[in-house]
Amino acid sequence: MGSGQAVHHRSRPVRNTGKSDVDSPTTQGAQAMSGRYEVIVVGGGHAGTEAALAAARMGCRTLLVTHNIETIGQMSCNPAIGGIGKSHLVREIDAMGGAMALAADRAGIQFRILNSSKGPAVRATRAQADRVLYKAAIREQIENQANLQVFQQPVEDLLLEQDAVRGVLTQAGIRFEAPAVVLTAGTFLDGRVHVGDNQYAAGRAGDPPARTLAQRLRELPFRTGRLKTGTPPRLDGRTIDYRRTEPQPGEVPVPVFSFMGTAAMHPRQVHCHITHTGEATHAIIRRDLHRSPMYNGRIESVGPRYCPSIEDKVTRFAERTQHQVFIEPEGLQTHEVYPNGLSTSLPYETQCRLVQSIRGLERAHITRPGYAIEYDYFDPRDLQPSLQTRAIRGLYFAGQINGTTGYEEAAAQGLLAGINAARQVQDREPWVVGRDQAYIGVMVDDLVTRGTVEPYRMFTSRAEFRLILRQDNADLRLSETARRLGCLPEERWQAFVRKREAIDAHTRYLKQAVLRPGADRARQCGQVLGSELKREYSLYELLRRPEADLRTLSRIVPELGEIPAEVAEQIEIQARYAGYIERQKAQARHLSQQEHVRLPEDLEYASIAGLSNEARQKLVEVRPRTLGHAARIPGITAATLSLLLVHLKARERLKRSA
Amino acid sequence: MPGVPPSPDDPICAVATPPGRGALAVVRLSGRGARVIAGRVTRKELIPRKAVLTGFRDGNGERIDQGLALYFQAPASFTGEDLVEFHCHGNPVVCEMLMDALCAQGARRAEPGEFSLRAFLNNKLDLAQAEAIADLISSTTEQCVRTAGRSLQGAFSRRVKEVLEGLVGVRTGVEACLDFPDEDSGALPGKALHGPLSALDGELDELLEQARSGERLHAGATVAIVGAPNVGKSSLINALAQSEIAIVTALPGTTRDPVVADIEVHGLPVRLVDTAGLRTTGDEVEQLGIERTRRILAEADLVLWLDDLSQPDPAGPAPEGVEASRVIRVHNKTDLVARHAEAGRQEVYLSVKTGSGMEALVERIRERVLGREQASTPFLARARHLDALQRTQAHVRSALQCLHRGQDLELAGEDLRLAQQALGEITGEFSSDDLLGSIFSEFCIGK
Repeated sequence: MGSGQAVHHRSRPVRNTGKSDVDSPTTQGAQAMSGRYEVIVVGGGHAGTEAALAAARMGCRTLLVTHNIETIGQMSCNPAIGGIGKSHLVREIDAMGGAMALAADRAGIQFRILNSSKGPAVRATRAQADRVLYKAAIREQIENQANLQVFQQPVEDLLLEQDAVRGVLTQAGIRFEAPAVVLTAGTFLDGRVHVGDNQYAAGRAGDPPARTLAQRLRELPFRTGRLKTGTPPRLDGRTIDYRRTEPQPGEVPVPVFSFMGTAAMHPRQVHCHITHTGEATHAIIRRDLHRSPMYNGRIESVGPRYCPSIEDKVTRFAERTQHQVFIEPEGLQTHEVYPNGLSTSLPYETQCRLVQSIRGLERAHITRPGYAIEYDYFDPRDLQPSLQTRAIRGLYFAGQINGTTGYEEAAAQGLLAGINAARQVQDREPWVVGRDQAYIGVMVDDLVTRGTVEPYRMFTSRAEFRLILRQDNADLRLSETARRLGCLPEERWQAFVRKREAIDAHTRYLKQAVLRPGADRARQCGQVLGSELKREYSLYELLRRPEADLRTLSRIVPELGEIPAEVAEQIEIQARYAGYIERQKAQARHLSQQEHVRLPEDLEYASIAGLSNEARQKLVEVRPRTLGHAARIPGITAATLSLLLVHLKARERLKRSA
Repeated sequence: MPGVPPSPDDPICAVATPPGRGALAVVRLSGRGARVIAGRVTRKELIPRKAVLTGFRDGNGERIDQGLALYFQAPASFTGEDLVEFHCHGNPVVCEMLMDALCAQGARRAEPGEFSLRAFLNNKLDLAQAEAIADLISSTTEQCVRTAGRSLQGAFSRRVKEVLEGLVGVRTGVEACLDFPDEDSGALPGKALHGPLSALDGELDELLEQARSGERLHAGATVAIVGAPNVGKSSLINALAQSEIAIVTALPGTTRDPVVADIEVHGLPVRLVDTAGLRTTGDEVEQLGIERTRRILAEADLVLWLDDLSQPDPAGPAPEGVEASRVIRVHNKTDLVARHAEAGRQEVYLSVKTGSGMEALVERIRERVLGREQASTPFLARARHLDALQRTQAHVRSALQCLHRGQDLELAGEDLRLAQQALGEITGEFSSDDLLGSIFSEFCIGK
């Protein structure tokens, strides 16, 4: 951190937040100086790093406190970034200037495009990442970010002053003060690991749990719950017979994640492999099922339904004779592999036998046993859509502590919390993301509106505006906002402006260029497209036909071949999906009108005439912020919304006349 | 995926006068774009506070009625929004058709109390009325729920729920295929869903038929009359309507505009539509008429296929694009032939000129319009149910096309979402957001 000190001295003083400075900082000079920041981020995982980077990009003097600097940016579970719904989040983080996509480009050792023929909105990118390279790429961005400093110490307590946060206290009694604190404690809060009959307190594998902080947070008025998640055993790749598995090569040409990424950033590319469990595996699992903590009642918390343990799959889908196992490399410099699909908390001996009953894994050596982990999470319904807690001003929660799972989900929340912490320090309104703007908005709205009973993972089917929230247009959706918020570096903005101008210019040209029946080009076009042109068509109109794309049309109009791929993609999607996109945009407009009707925090639902008891109860429970938010509460009808509107209007008129 | 609730100023319409027959009825249209919608229905440029005598036309440009249109510009209107009043004939059938026409141009039927609500929100009503409006909203909502409950009891509601479940089933397959491409877990490929979805399309057909027969009780049915030139179509209409409303002439092919007569058949409102003679011809005007005829036939609830027994080959070609179940064959001019065959179940022999056989025809029409099985009481499906069913089916068909193409499965997903949203309007279930739950219980997911 050679530049750290310099940055420190250049940074601006803490703004006066207007509140009295009762709980004065430590008096020892040097420590007091180094102890004051504008934004403090607790935790160096995917949420914490994006939060710290975002706040620092926005010019806030930011401190990232982690219990171990070496694990900043660690991928603690599956060594992959992206996938369905998740790559949408990655691209959005990227469009907001975040770190994840570029790190994935620097660390990706196998890239795949999923759903390539099912349409652009569900198309997704997934990268197998080298853990070491990924961590290094994140660490590099952290260390080179202006306004950002890192400090290693477990955080034990929050400094509070009435209902506002003032900073944090570390294990060694060091105080750091800031008007905004982003807490990203992951699964460290009261974590408990289960391997068969054994259980012990822990964060993720090998790390200590943050129990003191958990106790402290439990005293605060937050509802908590307990979730569980699991991992498969890791294997030594040298003991796997890959000839007995099916290779799964990556995509060619190799895709990139970041809007600023290039294929040249990628390290060497490798294959994944696929194998299957069999009846022998299932018999082993069934026999030892009573020793799985999930089945003998030791774990009562809820695990994700989309990521069941192998014992779950064998029990719930008993008719299946095999289940897929993806053998994913953990990196280029290690033999360790991650057998995706074998998540388990069975005892170690059973894990050995079940692994060795799988084709190609007969001699496989387990390097780390699989385990289930239980951990605390905070009911996200206690959060505002800015991710600030409702109870404590200036305190933000992001990542797994909000009941989500996945690096991408965590990183997206971190980004949002970091931005809003910075906004608060700058005395500005929080950035609230709409469901029609980004998957980040869908996720946060789902969380704060409905809460979650299982680890929340992103899927495209959660987004009702799916057709306009594509991974390919994340920059078009968010760059302007990112620039306005001040978290988009200038070179990214310039690149975006160039792309947008190219799209506009080429679209204009395609709309003006007309083929008339009888003309040479029209005849050629008939040949290429398989049907004679019966009337005048613009090139743009032709693009609406399913059989036509710019490459096909470039056989008639060669200059179309020169349009850059990412520009051509936008033009083609816009032309072909126009009807669907317009309809979704109209629905989005309706939604945003309702989002603009605010429901005051102090609204007394008991006094609103005509509300059914059921509706009243639900409204009191959720305390929606806006009419649109209320509309999304299950069971709230159009009549309820009308009654709310009448009440709001009457209230407003009373106030005005008073 | 939550549904998208209606926006606070989208265009809404409702009949403002009390139900039933009267000299005059008023249909009101209020909200953003009201003037544009009214312009399409009246084909007139409306000027604020100026009454215009005009025809009202449906989505296909067919004339429904004639009356006054009166435009009030926001904020100087009852609701405070752009508002248009249509003064039409005081016939519930005409009102319904006018509402349909407005909906076809982008309006929707207002929720109970919605006009007053908007008036209040736009400061057009006194603060003291807030409570009264709240009462109106909650009590009429309850009442609607009760009424809807009655009309939704029994077979109709069960079948709507079945279709809804079927839709969720297909959506589960589609969404599983979209969200879990890496699974070999039996997630159905898009094409395998074609069969179940076609079946749903068929069920919607039947539901629509059921809903229509209920609809007829208060909204009337359309009966089209078709046949070769000069077989006596216009005369038949006149006889049924007992007034000279169409030009009856011996020159073939003169009925170029479909003629409308609204009559009552044993208390059931029925709209009669004459069609241009179906004849091959080079006359362009007549070609247009023939095109229109095809459209009318496609949409009619019942088609009377008329022929002339005095001609050597009276049958002629059957009307195109009409299923046999919607057709009654009418053999005219029995007065000109010595004898004729026994009438079958779906045919009538008559003479428009002498009036013999007319009663039998009226009875057949009544039977058909009420629905074949007298035993099953027709459902009081409201117009909006019918509307919702039609939109559901349109989206289902669009999804079928997407599945058929085998590309861009996400578009099928979108159409199915909209289909479920439309059908959900009938059952009151806004959305089924546990689609994911349905996926997880059906497919073994989890790499």
